[in-house]
Amino acid sequence: MINLVVKDLNKRFGGLHVLKDVSFEINGPELIGLIGPNGAGKTTLTNVLDGAIKPNSGTVYLNGERIDQLQPFEVAREGLGRTFQVTRSFRRMTVLENMLVPALALDHAHSRAEIVEKAMEVLEFLTIDHLRNEHAQALSGGQQKLLELGRLLMLNPAVIILDEPFAGVHPRLMEVIYRYIERVNESGSAIILISHQMDSIFSLCKRLLVLNYGDLIADGAPETVKNDPVVIEAYLGVDEEDDETHGTPEEEGATP
Amino acid sequence: MILWGVVGGLVTRRIYLHKDLDTSNSVFVGSMLGAATGPVGLAPLWIKTPEVNKHLMVWPAVGAVTLIAFAFAFADPSNNCVSNGSFVASQITNGIILGIIYGFMALGLTLIFSILGVVSFAHGEFYMIGGMVTYFVTSVWFPGIYPVVGIFAACLVTFALGAAFERMFLTPMYEGKIERPVEYGILVTFGLAFTLQYFIQATVGANPVKARRFFDFPRLRLPSAEDPWLIKTSRGNMELFDTVSISNPRFVAAVACVLVLLSLLYFLHRTWTGKALRAVSLDREAAAIAGINPDRMNMLAFALGGMIAALAGALLVQAFSWLPQVGAIPAMRSFVIIVLGGLGSLPGAFIGGIIVGLVEAAGTGCVPDAQKAASYIPAYGMIVLTLTLLLRPTGLLGRRFSGGAHGKF
Amino acid sequence: MSRQHAPQLAGLVLVAFFAIFPFVYSANDYPYIMHLLITGFFYAILASSWSMLAGYAGQFSFGHMGFTGIGAYTTALFCHYIYISPEATNLCTEYAIGGQFLVFVNPIGVTSSTLTQDCLREALALWDGKVQVTPMPVWLGISLGTIMGGVFGLLIGFLVLPLRAAYLALFTLGFSEILRAAISAEIAITRGQAGIELPYLFDQGITLFGREFDKTDKLPPYFVMFGLLLTCLAILTWLARSKFGLFVRALREDQDAAAALGVNTTRYKVMVFVITSMMAAAAGAVMAHYIRIITPNNLMILQMSLVVAMAVIGGVENVFAAAIGAIIIEFTLELLRNSFEIGPVVVDMTIWRLVIFGIILMVTLRFSRNGIISPLINYFLRGHVAKETVAKRVAGGKSSETSS
Repeated sequence: MINLVVKDLNKRFGGLHVLKDVSFEINGPELIGLIGPNGAGKTTLTNVLDGAIKPNSGTVYLNGERIDQLQPFEVAREGLGRTFQVTRSFRRMTVLENMLVPALALDHAHSRAEIVEKAMEVLEFLTIDHLRNEHAQALSGGQQKLLELGRLLMLNPAVIILDEPFAGVHPRLMEVIYRYIERVNESGSAIILISHQMDSIFSLCKRLLVLNYGDLIADGAPETVKNDPVVIEAYLGVDEEDDETHGTPEEEGATP
Repeated sequence: MILWGVVGGLVTRRIYLHKDLDTSNSVFVGSMLGAATGPVGLAPLWIKTPEVNKHLMVWPAVGAVTLIAFAFAFADPSNNCVSNGSFVASQITNGIILGIIYGFMALGLTLIFSILGVVSFAHGEFYMIGGMVTYFVTSVWFPGIYPVVGIFAACLVTFALGAAFERMFLTPMYEGKIERPVEYGILVTFGLAFTLQYFIQATVGANPVKARRFFDFPRLRLPSAEDPWLIKTSRGNMELFDTVSISNPRFVAAVACVLVLLSLLYFLHRTWTGKALRAVSLDREAAAIAGINPDRMNMLAFALGGMIAALAGALLVQAFSWLPQVGAIPAMRSFVIIVLGGLGSLPGAFIGGIIVGLVEAAGTGCVPDAQKAASYIPAYGMIVLTLTLLLRPTGLLGRRFSGGAHGKF
Repeated sequence: MSRQHAPQLAGLVLVAFFAIFPFVYSANDYPYIMHLLITGFFYAILASSWSMLAGYAGQFSFGHMGFTGIGAYTTALFCHYIYISPEATNLCTEYAIGGQFLVFVNPIGVTSSTLTQDCLREALALWDGKVQVTPMPVWLGISLGTIMGGVFGLLIGFLVLPLRAAYLALFTLGFSEILRAAISAEIAITRGQAGIELPYLFDQGITLFGREFDKTDKLPPYFVMFGLLLTCLAILTWLARSKFGLFVRALREDQDAAAALGVNTTRYKVMVFVITSMMAAAAGAVMAHYIRIITPNNLMILQMSLVVAMAVIGGVENVFAAAIGAIIIEFTLELLRNSFEIGPVVVDMTIWRLVIFGIILMVTLRFSRNGIISPLINYFLRGHVAKETVAKRVAGGKSSETSS
């Protein structure tokens, strides 16, 4: 049974209070949308959950284990996986090698052949199995995104955080990602989906979390959240759906 | 004392983290305060956890340095740099003078870094070539010519060299063709350093050369010729207050460095090109949108950076004997200085230069065995580097939130 | 299919060639060629281990020569200062171990010739030949040197953990320079620039293949160095193919992403430092016993530049390419050593060859980032990939329109 408990998370960068007493709980394989305007703290929250950033205060428990003070790799081993806003595939490793990294880091029970078999199965599902011996840098942007999603699956994570999986993706690949999310969800993992594409969020998610400048201002079913006056004022009222650049100070991967 | 420094550094960070406060400078403050005052100073810091401000950063550091100095004085009272006041004054003055020159040279490196994002490993070779060209122009080819011509020639040669190298070897870095451009930059400038060093050795030979003094001091006796306690100059030396002696070449070099530095600051802050350079260092894309060609700025920055190193070399060729290998230690020192001053910070480089100059003067002056002290010169800088990286990785004046690959290390 | 096996086959032929070579070759310059090969193997070990560190793990360390120096000086000091004596000298620091005495000779530096004798020499003079002291075994010194290399590798590995790219290069370069400064300065112990002497690799001679070899013969050290090279290459290949290789490459590509996928980045970063510095230290220790004198100049930046250039020209992301590149370059540099005259101008090739070499290095970097030998190997090993991809796409057809 999946159980993620986030309690009173606080994070400051200098004078900037990026997360203010954020608390929520995930029980079971839920599909949750995390939305909020730019600079709301979504990526910071992801980084804190992932262990890349230590919170100033507050706790995170995953299935009874406290994970907020762990290193990112330990968090990953506890079963929390995440993708990055900017795709971060291992560019000069083949697609198959990309898939093997998380599997070999975690899985000591299966033989390499079995792991390869599983990786091929995932690649096939993501429609990039014919590229398995190509270097990841030879893939298109959309395919790299798929590869990153597939890589994550090799962790067998209990909770997956997808940071902007739809940004800059061709509609046809979008369908693949939709199917991916549904399949992963059905197989028993909880998913936190961060996106600015409201259509996708509303069609996929059964529950929404809304962050606004560090405050978690809403948590509930999409219909309720949609009509929440606070949310409307903070976010939905302003049309920012097409905006895909962010300006949070902790932004990762701003490589020129 | 060292123990309390370590304890202070580690525990203070923990406490600041725990109390939900800004931790960025807590390691530095904690370790300095711990080193200076031990538990007495640390206890109130831990209980009250005040916001870290400038006073809290500077005073414990000063205290720690003073304490180290006193500890040293008690441990070895007969040492030359404890008992001999005029020696100390001399060392400090010379440290500052050399520090100005070091800082000036490091300026070139930090300029290159802030704009190209590359640490040039060929910086020492530009320095060496600057000196060589000046030597050949002023002492071999046209003896008796104005030294300024030699310096000018050195600048010209290295500027052209830097520009040509940048065009030929560094351009693919910006086009995104190369994975890991930073490493490519390191290796290719390393290759340049290797080539230049042996090219000079092949053409000039491995024997040390030395240029003649650029000019002599005028004969000065103040306040009076009989009792010149204020200033006494001979052609190659200047003595202040009967105690501090400064050699002419170094003095000339330092003064020239300050003058060039001022004109450089004028260039960077008052001319269009200079402003464009600074704009590119702050934000490449935005600068490109504003109509600045970043590629041209890259070339200019690399050439200018190399030229600054060459200028330092040209000014020092009259002070030191010159070899093809002479660039290695100044290059290392420049690296130390820019890390200490904060990567990409021009004033930081200058202050860092003076600090490193003082540390080296203290090191060479205070270590009892003179020969050993001289051998360890590169080590003093490295100790400073290690401490900087451990205590305050952003350097003295590093940018706090520098984005992108430039700020990351 | 056979094309994929060509590199392996070539490798086997090469190994067989080097194994047979010293028995077949019998020209006049035999010792010279053997010396070149031993030096070539030495550089091959350094270049291939550096390519693991820099090419695979992306840690551009310029301190590799420093580790070589640690290995060499550890065994030098060990063999120089520690002896076993059946009787107490009563002059030196000594410890009784089971009837024998472990004697620590006091360091007196380079002034030992006439004025002062170290305590062991004094004791030997008193005994007047009645007592034989035994030097420490060379292999123990080499093992100690290797271990010391590992210890320093661990230390440096932890120190450079938070450093990336330029900072790492600077710091490691600085480490190497400090080491050199310290060795030059501590004349009393290391004898400074005068260098410290070491015993022969096989001081008593050795019998190999039914033949007796004198301690000055080149063949035994040749095979020791060759064996060390093969061992290192075997370990490196094994590491590169195991998950270790996979993880350090992931680390090179994207440290944060690797950590997010469960890779303990700290551990692998330190491990790669430890392993490669142990290899460098072992090579340095063996080489020091072969050339029999070591000075601080062996750690100069020039040496490091050579290693870097060899690895880069060979191919920094392939340990074999780096090793072959090292041997070829060592020979090329030797061939270019002959000076010649153009009219009145004497061209001193001992220096010019390095200039040419530097230019080759830069041009290789500029136009063939993977070096010269590595693309050749990849041509054979990965030549089929594009064909395979196309074939699969045609067969599958389902996502062909999405690939770029």
